[in-house]
Amino acid sequence: MQLFLSQVINGVGNGVVFATVALALVLIFRTTRVLNFAQGEMALFSAYISWKLTTFDLPVWVAIGISMAIAFVAGAVIERTLIRPMEGHSPLNVVIITLGLFLGLNALVQLIFGTDPQSMPSPFPKGSVSFIADTRVQKVTIGLMVVLLVECAALWLLLNRTTLGLKLRAVASNPDSARLHGIRAGSMLMFGWAISAAIGALAGSLVASERAALDASLMQVVLVYALAAAALGGFDSIWGAVVSGLVVGVADALTIQYVDALDGIEVVLPLGLILVVLVVMPNGLFGKRTVERV
Amino acid sequence: MLRSRKARIGASLLTLALLASACSSRDDDDAATGDEGSGGEDTESLIPTDHCATDPTEEIEGDVIKLVSSYPQSGQYAAYSEIARGWMAYFDKVNDEGGVQIGDRTFTIEYETADDQYNAAETAANIDRLVGPDGDGAFAVFSVVGTANNVAIRDTLHELCVPNLFAATGSPQWGNPDYPWMIGSTLTPYTIEAAAFAELLQEIKPDAKVAMLRQDDDFGDAYEAGFKMAIEGTDIELVEVQEYSPGTDPTPQVTSLANSGADAFLNGAALLPCPQALTAKEEAGWEAITWVSGTCLSKTLMGIAGEAGADAYGASNLKDPLNPDWDDDPAMQEYLETVQTYQPDGFDPENAVVGYGYTQAAIFIEALEQAEAPTRLAVMEAMYDLEVSDVGLLLPGVTIRTSPDDKFMGETVQLAQYEWTGPDARNHFVPQGDLIDYEGRTAEVTPEELINS
Repeated sequence: MQLFLSQVINGVGNGVVFATVALALVLIFRTTRVLNFAQGEMALFSAYISWKLTTFDLPVWVAIGISMAIAFVAGAVIERTLIRPMEGHSPLNVVIITLGLFLGLNALVQLIFGTDPQSMPSPFPKGSVSFIADTRVQKVTIGLMVVLLVECAALWLLLNRTTLGLKLRAVASNPDSARLHGIRAGSMLMFGWAISAAIGALAGSLVASERAALDASLMQVVLVYALAAAALGGFDSIWGAVVSGLVVGVADALTIQYVDALDGIEVVLPLGLILVVLVVMPNGLFGKRTVERV
Repeated sequence: MLRSRKARIGASLLTLALLASACSSRDDDDAATGDEGSGGEDTESLIPTDHCATDPTEEIEGDVIKLVSSYPQSGQYAAYSEIARGWMAYFDKVNDEGGVQIGDRTFTIEYETADDQYNAAETAANIDRLVGPDGDGAFAVFSVVGTANNVAIRDTLHELCVPNLFAATGSPQWGNPDYPWMIGSTLTPYTIEAAAFAELLQEIKPDAKVAMLRQDDDFGDAYEAGFKMAIEGTDIELVEVQEYSPGTDPTPQVTSLANSGADAFLNGAALLPCPQALTAKEEAGWEAITWVSGTCLSKTLMGIAGEAGADAYGASNLKDPLNPDWDDDPAMQEYLETVQTYQPDGFDPENAVVGYGYTQAAIFIEALEQAEAPTRLAVMEAMYDLEVSDVGLLLPGVTIRTSPDDKFMGETVQLAQYEWTGPDARNHFVPQGDLIDYEGRTAEVTPEELINS
């Protein structure tokens, strides 16, 4: 029982990481209807900026804050310069651009910051607190959980309780109708990219903190799990992303513990999950069903 | 809307397939076997030349020895590119000092490298291009990183009789007699590392219960098989083995190991998962005699583990630049001066892999000087007749010996234990006891199929 709980806690620890990245994926999807494969590498770049700033003796939270601000601007610039010109073309073009960004940003990170792994300080206190049945929870995990919940609540409020959020959703759902209502669709799409890049920056920096280190491969496997979480949750549900991130994390940890047949190839799990979800319930567990008018 | 969504989902699946293949470090290019190797045990020269597509007895034209290499310079494994910093610096120094002498002729060393991102298919393409279809592009291949990567090029190079020297992994496969045109490096064969840990346990905890974390590839296979062989007939028991994929956080695996009741931990992880495993062990409150693989004995990686790495054991045959005992050592000073002069930017010479690369170059220069003629055959023969000590950063007392029957170089190891004295201290591995000499015994401690694969 204690082992089971320990693995669940491990899973939650990893799951929080997957959820934060899934959240950025969902956010960009909800606001722009684009699946951004470069989300992980954008987050990696931001994590490196956070790390670099901490080497100048800036407190970690300040470093992450600055990195989020830089990412916000960079996200807007990417939308304006790389994504916008594809408007009106096949959505595949955008997918290919995000894949290009995925490869390009990873190479750029190595060129700028080097190829050695680096230690990343944590904004949370070290150590653990005891939990039921003799198990212990890392303070980092609790910290990440709190950040994640605050993040979700803020995003939910933004999207569902503000005029800005309404405009964002309107543009995502139907840009032409939104324009007819006087909404500046371009600005909204740009804002969507900017804010998800900022959320991604937070996610990347926290992943690096949780793992206590970062290198150029940090986000690649995380992205696969985050995509699984986003698919499971339904690409447009914020709470879905969070719950599914945790589910994927826990399922992964329990697979490692109890399913010997998948030893070393646990990544089959998220890939399998994506497949099953897409086939059985394409809208995920929490996604809205879209009704097509013929 | 619906159509575009379908298109997007299709694209997503395709991308995931791409991603999955990109993230996997495994390569299927293992099909190469040594069937057509000519063995050579009972022929006159150990090194068969009858099959050679080139003439290995042809002398080098001009005064340049051209070496080529392929290794990860970008991607997940790019940290290994620092090995080349070490050997490049050494060759540059040799060139500046007038070059290397073979017989009465003097040569300078020239090198050309390519990036393979640790992908064996790219290694093969790179080496094909650099060496050329007739073997005219290079005299020899030097320090290719990765087991699958070296396996991917060994057949071609064998047919061309182009030496593949100082393969930069500890795989026991480099002892395979079917491939006399290739030889490993001073990296300790993984199976000897495993045997050294078993021997340590025999001494300090003869009834140890061991839990092992290993990579899910041939590196992990060799490590596990070597350890199992080493504990045969002892009271040591391997109670659980967990595998992880490179690029993932092995914390759940370590939690599982921590709960196995084991009192010893064989941490066979490489790169970041190694310190992550040590941290996870500490978080789990697991008290265990810990061993880290040679791939983890780096300033960066152990630095990331910090206190969680305290007291971990490991083995090496090189002087550690972090150990203050070597501060006044002339060889260490020469090393630091050389790498800082010739490879000045952007890396840390205190990282052990740089010193490793530097030492391989130093040994190669010794071999060249011993060669009877500036030909591929003579240099290869010199590689099988090494008796080298006190070059590069080799520890005092370590002698690199090779012979036609023993291709392994790194068979003498020094046990060391990680001493952690504070986050800003010069933490390093402190040597423990005398050198352990496995000279000529790799084949004894290694399952035969691992060598002959």
